[in-house]
Amino acid sequence: MKQLSLLLVLSIFFSSCEKDDICDANTPTTPKVVIEFYDVANPTTLKNVTSLGIIAPGFTNGFEFTATSKIKVPLKTFEDTSILHFIQNGSMDPTSDDNLDEITFNYSRKTVFVSRACGFKTLFTLNTTNPITVTPDSNNWIQSVIVSQPNIENEDETHIKIYF
Amino acid sequence: MLLFSENGTAQEKDTLKIPQRYGLRLGIDAHRLTKSLYNDNYKGLELVGDYRITKKFYAAGELGNEEKTTADDNLNYTTKGSYFKVGFDYNAYENWLDMENMIFIGMRAGIGSFNHKLNSFTIYQPGNYYGINTNTSGQEFNGLSASWLEVVSGLKAEVLNNLYVGFSLRLNYLMSNNEPEGFANLYIPGFNKTYENSKFGASFNYSISYFIPFYKSKENSKTPKPKN
Repeated sequence: MKQLSLLLVLSIFFSSCEKDDICDANTPTTPKVVIEFYDVANPTTLKNVTSLGIIAPGFTNGFEFTATSKIKVPLKTFEDTSILHFIQNGSMDPTSDDNLDEITFNYSRKTVFVSRACGFKTLFTLNTTNPITVTPDSNNWIQSVIVSQPNIENEDETHIKIYF
Repeated sequence: MLLFSENGTAQEKDTLKIPQRYGLRLGIDAHRLTKSLYNDNYKGLELVGDYRITKKFYAAGELGNEEKTTADDNLNYTTKGSYFKVGFDYNAYENWLDMENMIFIGMRAGIGSFNHKLNSFTIYQPGNYYGINTNTSGQEFNGLSASWLEVVSGLKAEVLNNLYVGFSLRLNYLMSNNEPEGFANLYIPGFNKTYENSKFGASFNYSISYFIPFYKSKENSKTPKPKN
């Protein structure tokens, strides 16, 4: 009888455990593009952005970065182009000193299976021609952009270097 | 005189033995059958059978077919396939008189052949800044197979003449797993759900089966000899 009740308990246990799958935050999923900022006057030296706001055109919410030389931003997983506005002094008031530079990322995408819990991820490969373009305006704060790793497959390495 | 008394004790043991029936027991897994009726995302059938070889050992096997649609948070896929398991059961239960119930442990070797159809999937992007990107796919992953071992424990009880109900729990261990390119065998018919970075799995069945007796054992049906 002991064995019987044990089997019964186990069978209830096995039949009731179904939904146990939550994607672990440590699992590498769709990577963000990792950008480092350098001093245009001294191109080997990292330079902090003091107050950088990044927002996609038409969006009301964006990302704010202060006093850092390394940032991560997401790319669109459903289009081969992402446009982001990099706004110098944009993460704080006043807005009068904001300087908006528009950056376009051009890439191809690969869909890769991750796991039951996380589903799929997108890996990006920046185009060999025109991977990154800065839309010229009357007062660009970004002087130049260099692709250091065109394959955006994880967030462990820097993909893009921005000089300002 | 010494010889005589030894014979006497042996015979006493024999008198407790009841003629054993040997034959084929065939049935169906009631769990898979009923789940097919109430769950729109599942169709399955499993035939079960065992054949009594010795007093304690039964050759046993299962033959099944499943079609299961799984809706996870970020994935929706349909797995279709067939499987076959063969092995043995050992009856650890001492029956009273002519009862033929079983509390058994056993083993199976299972093989399955199956395919997956990816119905839809979500691109997982932490934060989902641009919104959730869910794609309908329809991509098929065909010609997949797996093999595994099962440690089985369970019971069978005769509820009516020759009609048995039972259930079994199975701890499964994957021996081979032919995974598709670009997806994974998250569900294997017969094996059940797989677990990441693990070869173990678990499954169960509830069987309703009918025993077809072939013959009765002669050697155990000694009638008590009158003692001289």
